[in-house]
Amino acid sequence: MSMKKLLLAFLICTLPLTVLGTESRRGFIEDYEAQPATGEEVEPPVLEEMETEGTDEDDLSFLDEEDDVIEVYDPLETFNRGIFWFNDKAYFYVMKPVAKGWRWLAPEPLQLGIRNFFSNLRAPIRFVNAALQGKFRDSGYELTRFGVNTTLGIGGLFDPAKVHFGIDRKIEDTGQTLARYGVGPGPYLVLPFLGPSNFRDGIGLLGDFYFSLVPAVFDSPTSYWIAVSADIINFLSIDKDTYEGIKKDSLDPYLFLRDAYGQYRLNLILH
Amino acid sequence: MLKQILLTFITGCALAFTAMSHAGSTPTDDVRTSVDAILEILQNEQLDKEVKREQMSTVINKRFDFRAMSQRTLATNWKKTTDEEKQQFVTLFSQLIENSYVGKIEAYTDEKVEYPGEKVKGRKAVVETLIITSSADVPVNYKVYQKGDQWLVYDVVIEGVSLISNYRSSYQEIMKKEGFDGLLTKMQAKIDELASTPS
Repeated sequence: MSMKKLLLAFLICTLPLTVLGTESRRGFIEDYEAQPATGEEVEPPVLEEMETEGTDEDDLSFLDEEDDVIEVYDPLETFNRGIFWFNDKAYFYVMKPVAKGWRWLAPEPLQLGIRNFFSNLRAPIRFVNAALQGKFRDSGYELTRFGVNTTLGIGGLFDPAKVHFGIDRKIEDTGQTLARYGVGPGPYLVLPFLGPSNFRDGIGLLGDFYFSLVPAVFDSPTSYWIAVSADIINFLSIDKDTYEGIKKDSLDPYLFLRDAYGQYRLNLILH
Repeated sequence: MLKQILLTFITGCALAFTAMSHAGSTPTDDVRTSVDAILEILQNEQLDKEVKREQMSTVINKRFDFRAMSQRTLATNWKKTTDEEKQQFVTLFSQLIENSYVGKIEAYTDEKVEYPGEKVKGRKAVVETLIITSSADVPVNYKVYQKGDQWLVYDVVIEGVSLISNYRSSYQEIMKKEGFDGLLTKMQAKIDELASTPS
């Protein structure tokens, strides 16, 4: 991973900028909402129409907000549900048992250290993408975090930037950058092992791979895949059984995750 | 046993008292009172699970406006349903929401909750909370609205994901395929399933 590579990546990513021009935030939201709806149009209940009950307590139309409903465009649902089923099995029969074993074996500080280590190696993703979105302060924070955590934090195992300097990590990735430049999410996509995504964020992963230092540190294919698997297993060992909770709570976990992903991403893009 | 009853009684009195002294409170005051009460119940080792659930349910029912939540979840379908159907839906939905919310809070029993701020806009407000854990900080925002002298929760937003919007999209999909009755059947089945598998 050299400076040349970073520079090249920067140029590639700024190219669409000059072609497309920047779009306003408002314009972006409209694009997002202009996605073909999967269901019938949902309109906020209008006060006058609620003739069924004239009671005061039903007059809640003032609670409705423009950002209330996100329709996720999912023309590949059958295919996606197939991958979802596969991921579900892979999670419960392979990944989670291994993660549980690791959770039992490793003390929490070690788990957190490993997570910090990988997160630190991915700092360039956040640094570059914050900059590409014009968030130069966040970008500067990421650079500072990387410097502090790589040195004082012993190769990124610890997070003194957050603990001692109060600079927290902000989630930025290539998918968000693409969205900022007006690229719509495209069809919803469930990726094997990785879960919810969409066409845009899937392409974004390629950018993330390019900026990440993980492939540079683990530079043979074997070591790379071992590192990535270890990262995921370690992540699951820290995670408080989020997926189990979703499965337990929702009538249809596929729909729940799909819509949650749409909201989660939109929130990240707008901030 | 006697100790337990006494404790329950004291907690009950404390809750009633805080409820009475609510006039003129801010959104954050109201949310904090309820969240603190829930955390206290969760961390009380002298109560068994059943009693805990019951007490939490009381606190949640005071603070969460399940009817408003139901109405927002069903959106345009709300006015298409009869009063009886509405009541049925509210009853089922409140159990599911309560269960889901408690499940999420339970995962963070020993953690600290911070209140970074609130945004008030007329009768609506957002109360920001941050659950600080050893592994991550989880932002949980409560959307509240003013009803009488109280601020009631009509949505919970965890990491940018609104519980109600989430339920609304998936419930609408289910209703489209299986109708309102189909949805009710599925909800009842889920509640039975949750009751039969103690967490």
